[in-house]
Amino acid sequence: MMTTVIGKIAATEKAPTTIDEFFFWTKQTQILSPFDVVKVNHIKGSITFGVVEEISHITDSPSYLSNYISSDFGDITLEANMHRIGMNYVKAKVIGNTNNIYTPVLNGSKVSLASAAEVSKALGLDKVPNKLPCGYLEMYEGKDRITLPVNFNGHFLIGPEGAHLNISGISGLAAKTSYSMFLMRAIQELYKPDDSTVDVAFVFFNVKGRDLLAIDEANVGLSDLEKEKYTLLGLSATPFQNVSYYYPYSQEGSINSCSYGNPQDIQGQIEGGKGFKYKYVYEEDRENLDLLLANVSDTTGTMDSIISYIINGNGKFGSIESWSEFLEEVRDYSRKDNKRGDKEITVTSWRKFKRVISKSLSHSIFAGRVVSGDREVRISDAVKGIRRNEVKVIDIARLDQDTQAFVFGDVIRAIYNMKLSDEREEDTIPSRIIVFIDELNKYASTDIPKNSPILRQIIDIAERGRSLGIILFSVEQFRSAIHDRVKGNCSTHAYGRTNAIEVSKADYRFVPKVYKNMMTRLSPGEYILEHPTFRSLLNIKFPREVYKQFKNG
Amino acid sequence: MSAYPSRILDFIANETKGYSYKSFKYCYDDNWVPTLPYDDKKVVDFKHKGETDSQLEKNKDLTSLLKDERLIRKPLFGYFLDGSRRTYKVDDLAYDKKLFPAVAGQIGIACCERIGKDHFTSWRFEHSLVLAISEKANAGSGDSTSFFTKLRMNLNKQTFLDRKNIALDKILYYQSAENSEYEKKAIARIQDEMIDKEKKMVNCLVGERLLSGNSYLLKDGSLEYAEMKDKGEFGKWSKIKNNYQYVVGASKAFNPEILASSNKRIARIIAELPLYHRTPAIKYTTERVRFSKDIWFSVWYLRIRAARYCHSPYDGVIKLEKVLVNEREEKRGLTSDEIDLISVNIIRESFPVCYGQDSRWAKHLYPIFLTERYAKSKYLSDLHFINLF
Repeated sequence: MMTTVIGKIAATEKAPTTIDEFFFWTKQTQILSPFDVVKVNHIKGSITFGVVEEISHITDSPSYLSNYISSDFGDITLEANMHRIGMNYVKAKVIGNTNNIYTPVLNGSKVSLASAAEVSKALGLDKVPNKLPCGYLEMYEGKDRITLPVNFNGHFLIGPEGAHLNISGISGLAAKTSYSMFLMRAIQELYKPDDSTVDVAFVFFNVKGRDLLAIDEANVGLSDLEKEKYTLLGLSATPFQNVSYYYPYSQEGSINSCSYGNPQDIQGQIEGGKGFKYKYVYEEDRENLDLLLANVSDTTGTMDSIISYIINGNGKFGSIESWSEFLEEVRDYSRKDNKRGDKEITVTSWRKFKRVISKSLSHSIFAGRVVSGDREVRISDAVKGIRRNEVKVIDIARLDQDTQAFVFGDVIRAIYNMKLSDEREEDTIPSRIIVFIDELNKYASTDIPKNSPILRQIIDIAERGRSLGIILFSVEQFRSAIHDRVKGNCSTHAYGRTNAIEVSKADYRFVPKVYKNMMTRLSPGEYILEHPTFRSLLNIKFPREVYKQFKNG
Repeated sequence: MSAYPSRILDFIANETKGYSYKSFKYCYDDNWVPTLPYDDKKVVDFKHKGETDSQLEKNKDLTSLLKDERLIRKPLFGYFLDGSRRTYKVDDLAYDKKLFPAVAGQIGIACCERIGKDHFTSWRFEHSLVLAISEKANAGSGDSTSFFTKLRMNLNKQTFLDRKNIALDKILYYQSAENSEYEKKAIARIQDEMIDKEKKMVNCLVGERLLSGNSYLLKDGSLEYAEMKDKGEFGKWSKIKNNYQYVVGASKAFNPEILASSNKRIARIIAELPLYHRTPAIKYTTERVRFSKDIWFSVWYLRIRAARYCHSPYDGVIKLEKVLVNEREEKRGLTSDEIDLISVNIIRESFPVCYGQDSRWAKHLYPIFLTERYAKSKYLSDLHFINLF
């Protein structure tokens, strides 16, 4: 590509060029965008690369009044013979120099557009090891337009160097789930058990409609153009493989009462051997009762005491065999004349406990026993048996919030226990288990009580998951609402479209103003990425989903 | 004085057997500027009609013409010329026990071209560095012009100038009659030099056939140049008057006081000229243009800003001039249609405005303002220039 010179460096008294940034002027019709890379001829034949941060247009008009007068004192129909002299000036952030010369670029140096190879080099994309496609970037306009694949360094996304991904963006416009799925499909495709030392398994929670209930079926609406994008990224544009779906059990064979999935589809999956119904059985699952209280504030610790009382099998709780008996027993403890149990736990506390758990326990997933012949499972058992390259989709979309939290907490705990316990041979356990959590704000927001067992679990995974091989791919609408220790431990962040209030929060303080404003205008399928091996924030796009899309969610 | 001079005036003092006092150096433009008879003439006889419409006795309203598609379809002016100079008192040189000021000058002649509404670009720029000293510096009996040319050539060979890649373009000289205001004389010489260069620039435009009925040149200031002392090629108006067929001079700095003293009625007419009205054109010739008594001009006044927005009644009015280039024009004046066309286009050139950037905004024309700024932007910095001497 011929070098297209677009302007020259302007270093002034008030806006000098520095080690970190420079300004240059361009013609007012020159189209540039934030995140575009430009190159500047520098000393000793070196080239300094910069990323466009701000573009301003100025004229020689010293004031608005001057403009008003220039229109013949407010005559909006006036057409003058010429326009004011104007130009654009651009602020760019230095991202590197070919000879590692960081002396500020010099006034009058030529600024030009870079070739695809130069952009790749400038952004540090050319030598990324352990490549994991994360999208593509498009730069410049017209004949100068370039499209470049962008790769994460996989070791910084799923370990061992760094771990966890956080994706934020407003509902519907950011395509958060789609982007997560794009990345995870790329991981599944590239980290095949046979030809990779790293083996990966996935656990997804379906929290909205039918979003993830057909991820192993192809998207017939995928255009050729989109397929080309997958080819550019070195991906096959095929849907997920080795997928199992887990639906909440519902009574009387009514499959769909607890799921948004189409009953025929679910039945088809069950008959096809990839669909299951999950249940909770008192004897096995009472130890997880604390998870039902995840969103209950317990400043005095009384709920905690009740849980301990039950888990330890005190009173009759040790001999109970079903949820109905359990509820009956709790009701007894809640009676006014109750004389049993721990004296320190008041009747009022038992009543509160009863009130909190009653609604959840009335759900059909809290059942008497598991009939494996009917393709029923305990979800923790299913998760503990996860195999390499397998994807487990757990449908919790139609459960109430507390029950969702319970299932989520149970799964996380099961994965955690599997990794820490020696129930399975270590080499049979996938070395990385990626857990996709949508609506992270439900479990790890700053509003969640500090004593929440799920919050504690998530923080623990965020902090220790890298070494344990449990990787969180978390998604939320508002990043600022997420617990600092969770997002702080994510090595990679993807910012989708958000709103102006959100970008005014402290989380976005490090983001240049123009990029912040851009975040409020990003299209679906467009993200701003922060990754340890990138030299600056990158604005990328990704192709549409490869798996089946439902029209009405 | 060192054997190897490191400043221009040391060298000149040395070469001309004078003495450099190393006086305080300053820029005249920062302090006071001697009044020069440049933009305006002292006596104008308003009796001669300068346009073909002999019935036009009163001001003409151009408002309706401003909407006439035939007149405004394409801007009339394609080129804009502005000459400027900056002068500096750089020293006093002593000859025959008398002190003579040495005045240095930077002359910038900018010509810009407008290709489109957003495409305004430099067509050519001439930058010259000159020095004006007393003719007394020539102690010999030879021709002063040759003497100063030789002196300049020797000066430019000096390493201290060569190293800085700077050369003087001319050493001008002024005559040293008794009781003369030497500084004014020196500045006037620099002024003349600037005018000569302006004319050269017009000649270049004509030579390259860039001026036509669709592409006029708008020149800042009067076309009625002051009397030229030397008989240079460009001092001969008659020889080049055809160059001015498509050139209009626009003066901001006409002096209403002078008008008032010569013709009280016309002074009042100008002061009360309504917005977008022009005066009838008048025709005159001038003795100031030497060798060519037959050079005639048409001149008229045009209000481009409403008086209520201006500081004085004369603010917002510009004087327009055009050379009458053939016998028919000399006899009958410019055609009124051409005057209207020029006037309408001048009004359209008055937007945008340089309000807030130049106190003369009310009578400034934006392309001229840009040309002027361009020329000034190309000057060497005062400090740098002054220290060469």
